[in-house]
Amino acid sequence: MVLKIFYPQCCNLANSGLLIGSWIQGHNSAVVLAVVHYPFIPGQVKRYIQQVSTASGVKLSVLGSWSLPSEAEKGVENFLRDLRTIFPQDRWLQISRKMGQTGFNCSILDRSQGTILFVHYDQRNVMLSQLHPIQTEELDPSDSELRQVFQIVSLSQPLFLLDRYDDGPLKSTHWQSGGQEASIIVELLKMASVPLCLTISCLLHLLPLNFLCSKLSTCVQLSYRSDHLRALSSPKTAVGHSEFMRKANVLVSILVDMALGFLLMYWLYSDNHISMLANALVPAADHVAKELEELLQWLMGAPAGLKMNRALDEVLGRFFLYHIHLWISYIHLMSPFVETILWYGGLSAGLGLSFALALLSDMVALLTFHIYCFYVYGARLYCLKIYGLSSLWRLFRGKKWNVLRQRVDSCSYDLDQLFIGTLLFTILLFLFPTTALYYLVFTLLRLLVVVLQGILHLTVDLINSLPLFAVALRLTRFYRLAEGVKFSVLCDEPDTPLHLLMEINPLSCASVIKTYRTPTYSCYPKDSWTNLVKKLFVGELIYPWKHKTIKTD
Amino acid sequence: MGPDSAPDPPVPWRKVLWERQPFPDNYVDGRFLEELRRNEGLRQYHYWAVVKEAGSVGQQLSCVAIFITVWLYMEQGLLSPEVLLLTSLVCAMLGYGLHQVLASTVDSGDEPRTRLADLQSAAIFLSFTYGFSPVLKTLTESVSTDTVYAMSAVMLLAHLIFFPYTQPSPPGSLSLNAALFASVCLASRLPGALHTFAMLSCALLVFALWPCLLQRLREKAPSQFTGVCVGMCIGGIGGLGSQSLVGAVLLALALGNVTFFCPLLLITLQRQKDNIQGPWDEAEIHEDLSHFIQ
Repeated sequence: MVLKIFYPQCCNLANSGLLIGSWIQGHNSAVVLAVVHYPFIPGQVKRYIQQVSTASGVKLSVLGSWSLPSEAEKGVENFLRDLRTIFPQDRWLQISRKMGQTGFNCSILDRSQGTILFVHYDQRNVMLSQLHPIQTEELDPSDSELRQVFQIVSLSQPLFLLDRYDDGPLKSTHWQSGGQEASIIVELLKMASVPLCLTISCLLHLLPLNFLCSKLSTCVQLSYRSDHLRALSSPKTAVGHSEFMRKANVLVSILVDMALGFLLMYWLYSDNHISMLANALVPAADHVAKELEELLQWLMGAPAGLKMNRALDEVLGRFFLYHIHLWISYIHLMSPFVETILWYGGLSAGLGLSFALALLSDMVALLTFHIYCFYVYGARLYCLKIYGLSSLWRLFRGKKWNVLRQRVDSCSYDLDQLFIGTLLFTILLFLFPTTALYYLVFTLLRLLVVVLQGILHLTVDLINSLPLFAVALRLTRFYRLAEGVKFSVLCDEPDTPLHLLMEINPLSCASVIKTYRTPTYSCYPKDSWTNLVKKLFVGELIYPWKHKTIKTD
Repeated sequence: MGPDSAPDPPVPWRKVLWERQPFPDNYVDGRFLEELRRNEGLRQYHYWAVVKEAGSVGQQLSCVAIFITVWLYMEQGLLSPEVLLLTSLVCAMLGYGLHQVLASTVDSGDEPRTRLADLQSAAIFLSFTYGFSPVLKTLTESVSTDTVYAMSAVMLLAHLIFFPYTQPSPPGSLSLNAALFASVCLASRLPGALHTFAMLSCALLVFALWPCLLQRLREKAPSQFTGVCVGMCIGGIGGLGSQSLVGAVLLALALGNVTFFCPLLLITLQRQKDNIQGPWDEAEIHEDLSHFIQ
């Protein structure tokens, strides 16, 4: 039977006294939290323990006694043994240090002698760290031993409030902070944050931010940000580790986002870049339209030596050419206002870089509207042909689709049904390659736009969801996010128990990001690649991002 | 004596499994081969009866030949579409009259189609074909002629293979569709839209309506049926002969093969037939089980 004693490193050189701590339920081990020095009045110690236990929720008790070599005399030995009668316990640890020995000696009274193992821990680090994966903060006897140790240490924070310099009746040794950080600015900020939060949340409740138009990524981004702000500005303080981390992450990411946005604004407005952009935009759109026109002319001939149906080819080509013509007129109509629009649009960067990027994505969508239109026409036509051909092919073989049983049944058709069906089948079959080619070309164009928009979306999403605070915490205070612990042998002398040093294993960066990522729409399951290819083959419309899932989830 | 030479027990062997007997499980006695049966349910064919039945196959082959002949004439401009349309109309009227006459002789159990329904169908055929003929004309413009011919040939072959020779009255979907597909392909090669229309009407007559009439004829007047078949065959050979002699010879050979040689082969090979049945076959359930499945 091994008895494990978790002993704080800061108490190694404490004066003799009583060990205060807690037995771990369900395991044969104890956590030492503090040492109360002589002289003390037993009644006060009991009352103090009672107080701290109710404040922290941990069942504290006197574990035993502690003696440092300078006072280790025979009389003290007996005195320590007698202490046990004052604090009745079924187990009494008696830890002492001898001169010339690094290790401690320990004896358990009234118990069969077993091996004793000392595990030294850094009280501050263990108190501040959060063991992953995160579970509820309440003590649960079914938890593992290590998790219980972490929880007991972090819950017994009230114990550590008793200061060495306090003029109370008890003196004790445990980890002590260097004093509360008392900056007047921080205090003022804290004071100011409550009314600020209240006003922001009132404003947000007034604004009708439940946007119906989920198609515009700017609106989506706006609703995200407002959700974030709503979460941040709720006057309640964060309960629990994960909520606190979420709030901190969102706050930091908003701040970083706005800083980047201001940088962008500085660049945009400093050197007359806006008008340069506006002057470049219209010729670019013109150029795209011209390229498209050439592409259509090529398609109307014999593209890549393919033999298309001449009549249908010409009809489709002329239709699309007219569409481009309409588009160019529209662009030219818009051109005097482009600079103004850009100037005001650039102001949105003040809300954050993500807003500017979302606006850019929307502008790309608007400027390539003709490509989208072509794609939709092509896809609808293609879809019609595919469905028509598949059902007429069933008719050709004398079968039909049974909707009730979800299978293909044989069916006897009338003569006129067969005749008309075959006629239509032949027509669709011979016109199919032409439609398919148009569809293919416009789908490729659409995919280009979709990829561009997808990259913008990904960037925005990265800004929204990256847990910057958690990453910074991991980099600067590695012990705050623990994944586990590692042990190393501290000293192994004869006649003394084994001493181990417990050190905290920090969480790996990848799992930091995985755990603390703010949930955004990219976290939801998306179309798989095969599904996408299937959709493309059947002619269903594809979009850069599935917006519907946000609504349903 | 069975395969296992067990000493003769006093109890006779019985072919049951529910009783414990002093024999091994695979034991059979000497009466085993008595239950052997040979060529069960064999029908003895008569040569001329088979030839007569095979006539319908030959007749269908000739139909395809006649259709191809008409198309060849149309393509070379020897036959104007108006003449073809007129001929088709006359044939259709005559055939329809004959069909009605044959129907009225004996009342069949099914509800007969009304004149109005027939007229409706005819109107649908004509209007759709006429409306689509310009589209059909330009449909295969960019497809090479060889491809069109190959497709037509494959489709006509599919028509002949999948044709329901025993019951042609509701025409089989696949065979009719294949024939129509082939005729659309061929018709789109003709010079004008009216040509296409005429050709498709002709195809409808030959592939859809003619088998119905023939079936009626076969049911009601079997003696005339043989004559019609012979007439069709001669017509097919003659028609193809006027365009290409080689084709006619090949068709004649094929017809002779199908109608005379194949039945002969069937009857001679039937003598070689030898299949055995016995108690070792898997069980067949002859009882009507429908009352179990409620």
